[in-house]
Amino acid sequence: MGGTCSVSKISSLAIHRRNLRSLVFIRVPKLLGLLPSGCPTKFLKEDIHGPPMEVAVVELPVLPQDVLMSIFAHLEIPDLMRASSVSSSWRSAYSSLRNLEQYQQRQTPCLLYTSESAGERVACLYSLLEKRSYKLTLPEPPIRSRYLIGSSNGWLVTADERSEMHILNPITCEQIALPSVITIAHVTPVFDETGALCKCIYSHDTAEHRSTTGPQLVDLGELRHYLRKKAFVFYDASAGGYIVVLIHNPDGQLSFAWLGDDKWTWLKPHCFFQDCLYKDGKLYVVTLLGEIHVFDLRGPVVTTKVIRGCADNYSCRTIYIVQAPCGDLMQVFRSQDVVDYDPRADNATHVHYTDRIKIFKVETMAEKVMEINSLMDHVLLVGLNQSLCLSAEEFPQLKANTVYIADDHEYLNYYKNNRRDIAAFDLTYNSSEELVSPQLWSNWPTPIWITPSLTKPHLTLDRQ
Amino acid sequence: MATREAGKKMIMLKSPDGMEFEVEEAVAMESQTIRKMIEDDCADTAILIPNINSKILSRVIEYCNKHVPTTGATGAAASDTVAPAALAEDLKIWDAEFIKVNRATRFDLIQAASYLNIKGLLDLTSQTTIDTISDNSLEEIRSFLSTKNDYLPEEEQTIRRENQWAFQ
Repeated sequence: MGGTCSVSKISSLAIHRRNLRSLVFIRVPKLLGLLPSGCPTKFLKEDIHGPPMEVAVVELPVLPQDVLMSIFAHLEIPDLMRASSVSSSWRSAYSSLRNLEQYQQRQTPCLLYTSESAGERVACLYSLLEKRSYKLTLPEPPIRSRYLIGSSNGWLVTADERSEMHILNPITCEQIALPSVITIAHVTPVFDETGALCKCIYSHDTAEHRSTTGPQLVDLGELRHYLRKKAFVFYDASAGGYIVVLIHNPDGQLSFAWLGDDKWTWLKPHCFFQDCLYKDGKLYVVTLLGEIHVFDLRGPVVTTKVIRGCADNYSCRTIYIVQAPCGDLMQVFRSQDVVDYDPRADNATHVHYTDRIKIFKVETMAEKVMEINSLMDHVLLVGLNQSLCLSAEEFPQLKANTVYIADDHEYLNYYKNNRRDIAAFDLTYNSSEELVSPQLWSNWPTPIWITPSLTKPHLTLDRQ
Repeated sequence: MATREAGKKMIMLKSPDGMEFEVEEAVAMESQTIRKMIEDDCADTAILIPNINSKILSRVIEYCNKHVPTTGATGAAASDTVAPAALAEDLKIWDAEFIKVNRATRFDLIQAASYLNIKGLLDLTSQTTIDTISDNSLEEIRSFLSTKNDYLPEEEQTIRRENQWAFQ
């Protein structure tokens, strides 16, 4: 073999895993030579421990590290964690994979929830792939005492009892404090006689109008209740850092901070923002009216450009913006209703449910939107998470043309015990199906979709 | 390099145990490693595949031969007459038959696929290993894949504790 030839290295592998799974799995015992052909194809665990049926006495070749890595690159994170415990060589393959960040990036999303019985510090991950839950013990402060205000790229964004925010990776338990809440433009700290922060003044003003409600003195713990809307964590490869974006009250305004910053930066003057995504170094934010604003957060001057006017007359409380795997942008309109609405009934008894979802494809060039009737073989995941669009072909456990909904309705803060609107909404029949029964989760903190990740945070240190 | 049959370029592959295999260039180029060698003009009269014995190499060639018409740019003949879906189904069945081999052969095939960089074959041969990891306990994985547990008991305890949640 010529010494000058470079042997191209295996790097990424197609994810045939699940397509092949059904085909191959039933053949596993046969392939492994444990059972004679003609045996029932159902795989019985007892067989493994049964009498010594092993035929292979010959020492098997050991799989080299790079091959192990390429196999591990196909695994879902729980399987990867278990594989890393098999032996020291498997562990080192796992470590290399993690350091190079070459493990499977396309993990199946899970619903993160808490429950009284699991404990204050425990979050559970309900896997849509395995239809089962994993329990994760998380760092302080207790997860059940926090507000869950966002989830993107494997990171949760939480607000604790002093309204301070953290990003937290529930898999690795890494946690990073975000700039203090008192650095948000609408918050003024109030100190007591000893100089300790005791309360805050919260302003209802926006850059466009002064509120008739004057500034309000609030407890630190209450502040998160007023501010809370939705938070996002985006990675900017060219800037080499993470940006945390906050859509907050009053009136859905925008603030952001790079990880490592000591304060939040207010993105004036617009408001009524609902949801956002990060694409090619730009922040796309959708408003309640269906407008999309584009921001470049990388330069010293933050630019903004509106690429679309109002959506067709469709009044709706919740709007999402999502990027399809092909790169197209979509707007998703979700409307909710109350089951057997009775105006005299106590609001705390109301059961909200999603009654309609409309989807529009955004034509960025033509600056218009077009309604689409079907997601075809795609699925959406919406709620307090960064909205996701996945291909059902890549995730066969997810149902095509279905929107997996978690709750993000404004009433959440006021009615912590109401049943949450969490379901699989089938767009073909406009009907919801429960994910799991009986309900596994506490209604508060509200469960949230998360895509498990082992990515380590890169602090933005050299940013100007 | 020999040339035969209406301009179809042939490549000679040699295994370390002295066997020679004449294959169409398009078939050999299913391997990204060989493709790179050909493109870089590193391939002379024959390519020696240093670490893959003739038994495994012949199976690899068999795989590439079967897969070239659907993935390669050259062989349009088969897909002209058969619907792509049917062809894919046929390939799936063929693949399933192809990997009915013992563990030692499968491990050899994984290594060969890795070395020669044949993505489809690597996916196919890795699949049973992936399924074994996904569906079984540590002890079962070790026994199925003949991987020795080289941890001291206390080491294993520590590692298990770290990833406790995944073992629930």
